Amino acid sequence: MGNQRQVKLTLRRYDPQIGERPYDSVYDVPCFQGMSLLNALDFIYEHIDGSLAYCDHAACQHGICGQCTLLVNGKPSLMCQTLVAGDMVVAPLPNRIVVRDLVYVREREKP
Amino acid sequence: MVEGTSECDVLVVGGGGAGLRAAIAARHEGARTLLVNKGTYGKSGATVMAGADLTADGRSLRRIGFFGESRDTPEKFLLDIVHQGFNLNNQKLLEIYIRDAGDRLEELLEWGMPVERSDERSIFTSGSAISRALVRWAKSVGVEVASDVMTLELITEDDRVVGALGLDLLTGELVHFRAKAVVLASGGWHKAFYPNAGPRDLSGDGVAMAYRAGAALANMEFITFCCNVILWPPIWQGSVFAYALIMLFGGRLTNKQGDAFLEAYDPDVVRIGTSSEWNKCCVSLASQREVEEGRGSPHGGIYLDNGDIPLEVFDHRVRAVFPGWKYHAADFAPMAAMLRKGERIEVGPAVEYFEGGVAVDEGYGTSIEGLYAAGECATSPFGANRVVAATTEMLVGGAVAGSHAAQYAKCTQPTREPSVEIGRLQREILRPLESRRGVSPAEVRSQVQRLAHSHLGPIRTRDRLEELAGILDSIQKEELLALSTTSKSRCYNKEWVEALELRNIVQLLELSARAALARTESRGVHYRSDFPRTDNDHWLQEIVARKGEDRVEWTSRPVIATCLSPGSGKKPYMDMLKEMMLARSQVGGPH
Repeated sequence: MGNQRQVKLTLRRYDPQIGERPYDSVYDVPCFQGMSLLNALDFIYEHIDGSLAYCDHAACQHGICGQCTLLVNGKPSLMCQTLVAGDMVVAPLPNRIVVRDLVYVREREKP
Repeated sequence: MVEGTSECDVLVVGGGGAGLRAAIAARHEGARTLLVNKGTYGKSGATVMAGADLTADGRSLRRIGFFGESRDTPEKFLLDIVHQGFNLNNQKLLEIYIRDAGDRLEELLEWGMPVERSDERSIFTSGSAISRALVRWAKSVGVEVASDVMTLELITEDDRVVGALGLDLLTGELVHFRAKAVVLASGGWHKAFYPNAGPRDLSGDGVAMAYRAGAALANMEFITFCCNVILWPPIWQGSVFAYALIMLFGGRLTNKQGDAFLEAYDPDVVRIGTSSEWNKCCVSLASQREVEEGRGSPHGGIYLDNGDIPLEVFDHRVRAVFPGWKYHAADFAPMAAMLRKGERIEVGPAVEYFEGGVAVDEGYGTSIEGLYAAGECATSPFGANRVVAATTEMLVGGAVAGSHAAQYAKCTQPTREPSVEIGRLQREILRPLESRRGVSPAEVRSQVQRLAHSHLGPIRTRDRLEELAGILDSIQKEELLALSTTSKSRCYNKEWVEALELRNIVQLLELSARAALARTESRGVHYRSDFPRTDNDHWLQEIVARKGEDRVEWTSRPVIATCLSPGSGKKPYMDMLKEMMLARSQVGGPH
């Protein structure tokens, strides 16, 4: 692991049940070689802020299902296959319906 | 409090291959069918992750137009699978598997599944291709679908299943699904372990809710650990890419000291055990032994490199199958660079497949009226060790379960609203949201996952199993009742979902640990270093668990053998392993 350092992750947050406007939360995360953005979000969720929402309830984690696509530094990227190499700004894809924080849907019907 | 209701004849829980095929079969019988999927339709569950091959006996493969081994017969295929399963196979289920495999593959071809190549007993495609073909057909026959809905509980009335309660993960609404019959196809419980080789949705929801509803579970102690799963770096952790590399192109496994530790084992066992899916038995066991005896890697594994294959040759072989060292969107080019620098890759055993589950009969019915199960959540025809493709088995089981569920639904009347039951279930579901402070679900999950990996892995002992069962018991009595979420929002609340999953994970781990404790022998993927012999005198038995009043009711039943009678006597595990390997027919290929 050796070369551990901190990176800043700026995450777009939003909770429609509270009816607030979207805002950003900034987290300092220890970063090591070979760490993915999904690993970093897991770290935040498990150790810093359990209220963070990102879509991983059926994530394959290996670049197969494509369910973890987010806007990372302005570019659509898979969380599970994006290496954390420096500070990052993370948001849902544009023109989607945001469910909460980084979770979004294209469209949806009631079950 | 239930925000939505939905009605159908047959409710299918799970949208992988077993669930999709069950839903199609139920529609073919004319049943109004709703498939409830925890993730995104056609993109969740283990099916899309599969490599994937589909197996059938060589003669059946030739019948549907593939290469197939001409000397192969269904009888030989059956015998080989029984040997691979250490004689613990339910041979009635196995006969159905062998009988139906060819038909299930043939229809997939008709539904548009592409095939890359075939060998003696298998055809090669991808998990996504299997899923796409099934989704397309399910759509055309009118299967209704609800996605991103986690099924939480079965609802029973007068000892039969009358529906289920689900949670819409995006909105947090509870949904009551009224159904005349339910097919469980919810897959394994990989999430109970860390590391694991499964997607994140597999937390054993179906198996655990069936148990809570009173269904019998069997063979819970048999868990396959895939060998050579990548352990480090974390971006690749849980990937089976390294497993595929060594199977397809060769390579070498070494321990901390650089010793090729497999050389210490019987050469026949190593030859067969590294060139076929027997590796999940013997390489996982040998690797774990290195780790436990202090010769492992920093992250609890061993090492893989190209061995005596020149790097240029190895690189060339890999690129021919995985251009640019890419698999789907995962980029393994840095792995080639590591090998070039003389670095080794940290790999090791990680949980991959569950042989046991909800006990099913030849109709894929369970011990509860109206409840069916198929795929990884159900007991399998594979006995103590799965070697042939589970992808074929999910299709065979799914088709039988779906069609039987539909036939049952046809002659069943709808029931009245079981309101008392739903109220009780709901209070428990909402508890983590309502308690002001308490235990973090992620923290408990993380603790449990690591314990499960070390205590219920490829090498088991009484001490560790007892310790695990004891800890799980106390977690059920204390932590699980005190779970609390940071956010009280019902919209996509990860901690709430984890709290609901944890009940399932902890329950199944405890049942598995106690079954593994009871099985005082070593067989298939269940190896006890304190009972290192396979004991055919006492243990040609399946261990069955049912929920009693306030404790687990354990029973055992003799294995169902229809055409091959297992021998008697006790043998050291490694000798038995070799005997089973060498008993294989002369049909070529890895299966």
